[in-house]
Amino acid sequence: MRLGGWLFLVLSWAVILGLTIFCFIKVFSKKEIK
Amino acid sequence: MKKRDSWGSRLGIIMAVAGSAIGLGNFLRFPAKAAANGGGAFMIPYFISLFLLGIPLMWIEWTLGRYGGGFEHGTAPGIFHSLWQKNRFIKYFGVIGIFGPLVIFIYYTYIESWTLAYSFFALSAKYSGLCDQSAMQSFLRGFQGLEHNRYFNGISTAYIFFLVTFILNIWVIYYGIKGGIEKLCKWAMPLLFIFGLILLARVITLGTPDLSRPAWNISNGFGFLWNPDFSALKSAKVWLEAAGQIFFTLSVGIGVILTYASYLSKGDDVVLSGLTASGTNEFAEVILGGSIVIPAAFVFFGPQQIKSIASSGVFNLGFVTMPLVLNKLPLAPLLGFSWFFLLFLAGITSSVSLAQPAVAFLEDEFDISRKKAVSIFAVVTFILCQPAIFFLGRGVVDELDFWGGTFFLILFATIETILFAWVFGMEKAWDEIHKGADMRVPKIYKFIIKYITPLFLLSILVSYFWQKESRALIFMKDIVLENKTSVLATRLGLLAIFLILAILVKIAWRKKRLELEKIR
Repeated sequence: MRLGGWLFLVLSWAVILGLTIFCFIKVFSKKEIK
Repeated sequence: MKKRDSWGSRLGIIMAVAGSAIGLGNFLRFPAKAAANGGGAFMIPYFISLFLLGIPLMWIEWTLGRYGGGFEHGTAPGIFHSLWQKNRFIKYFGVIGIFGPLVIFIYYTYIESWTLAYSFFALSAKYSGLCDQSAMQSFLRGFQGLEHNRYFNGISTAYIFFLVTFILNIWVIYYGIKGGIEKLCKWAMPLLFIFGLILLARVITLGTPDLSRPAWNISNGFGFLWNPDFSALKSAKVWLEAAGQIFFTLSVGIGVILTYASYLSKGDDVVLSGLTASGTNEFAEVILGGSIVIPAAFVFFGPQQIKSIASSGVFNLGFVTMPLVLNKLPLAPLLGFSWFFLLFLAGITSSVSLAQPAVAFLEDEFDISRKKAVSIFAVVTFILCQPAIFFLGRGVVDELDFWGGTFFLILFATIETILFAWVFGMEKAWDEIHKGADMRVPKIYKFIIKYITPLFLLSILVSYFWQKESRALIFMKDIVLENKTSVLATRLGLLAIFLILAILVKIAWRKKRLELEKIR
């Protein structure tokens, strides 16, 4: 794989992991549904 | 009026919406699309579409669903009517929100049953001796009843697995939102991710299995999918493919999220929950889906064959290429089972969600019990599933997929976005989104939801008409003569289903109006 390929893979994974982890941390720290 | 069902926990609805979104397409459609449309560069239009189209639509549907639930409506006819009460006809546009999922359910359940069958075949080593594409294709065609061969002597095996899958679906729906769908998704989703991570770990550690072919290694396998081809970005088709992929992967425009969100209470958050469901779906698609099929196939089939494999279609990738790849590895039965059972879990969490709008419509608008609504749904869909099974090779599934699973989805999403941002009004909509919200939506999304998302959807809608393949399908141009009757019959059948649903909406509203007049 070329450097560009690695760059896109790492960036894409980082965006998605970042979004998912951010959301779940917030979900578990907030109130439950009524 | 009986009390409506509700979710037991916030994680429950997030897992249910994510489960509805995560389907076979995450693991099979996404990698093939990315590989064919610029590799890593595909991720630029993909992420732009996610933030301008996918996530706004998620928020719109979650908000509309919760809003409609407040009026005891769980499906689009009632929700649209609540939004625009002065308009007598808007409820009929909402019929699409029941029609679409019902039509997809008809063929999706059958395809889902193949994954259950192949899970069983993997464990029992039924296809373990097959080592080339033509043998595996023949195995699949025999199983589907498209040919009689030494592997299968008819469709009976496929039909038994269909019956098991269908009964499982009905059983889950029968137990309702909290007792059925939520319970299923709360164990099925973590299990799906466990199987996905096992396969991901196995693929990443493939290395260079054949030392005489050093270029056939896992790094180059990932390179085939991720190396960017920036020239692809000049093509409008690539941007539309990315937008289409985001649209379909998030299960927006179907009507399912509306129904699921209608079981929330007025003060429940939709912003963070919608975003979490989107993130979970993207994890399954990009991280798992983008790392399993194509890189693994590259390692065993090489740089030449992978091009034709990647463009060979979703079924070929999932049911022919993947079992061949996994057959070449130690513990093949267990890995094969992990792959197909992962697909089955992705399938069943989607199919139960497709059933829910029709069941909710009967419960909410006709005030009948869940038991009765599920029984009616089971009888009707069981009959409707039969053409998809017995006329599989006659273009029936393609026809159902085009109308129910593509065209009406985009149309429905366009209607609901315009209704939300322009009829309901952006200021009111913005307040509604933020009721009980655990986080604020960035202000720029006011502009995006009002202008960008509808324009994006309209451009997808126009482009679908513009595409030669779509026009050929609409005007039945490329259909072989022997399939024309079955395709035409399917089209008439779809029209009949739509009209029946519209008549049911009319009856329900008339019944409610008469009841109101009696009270007065």
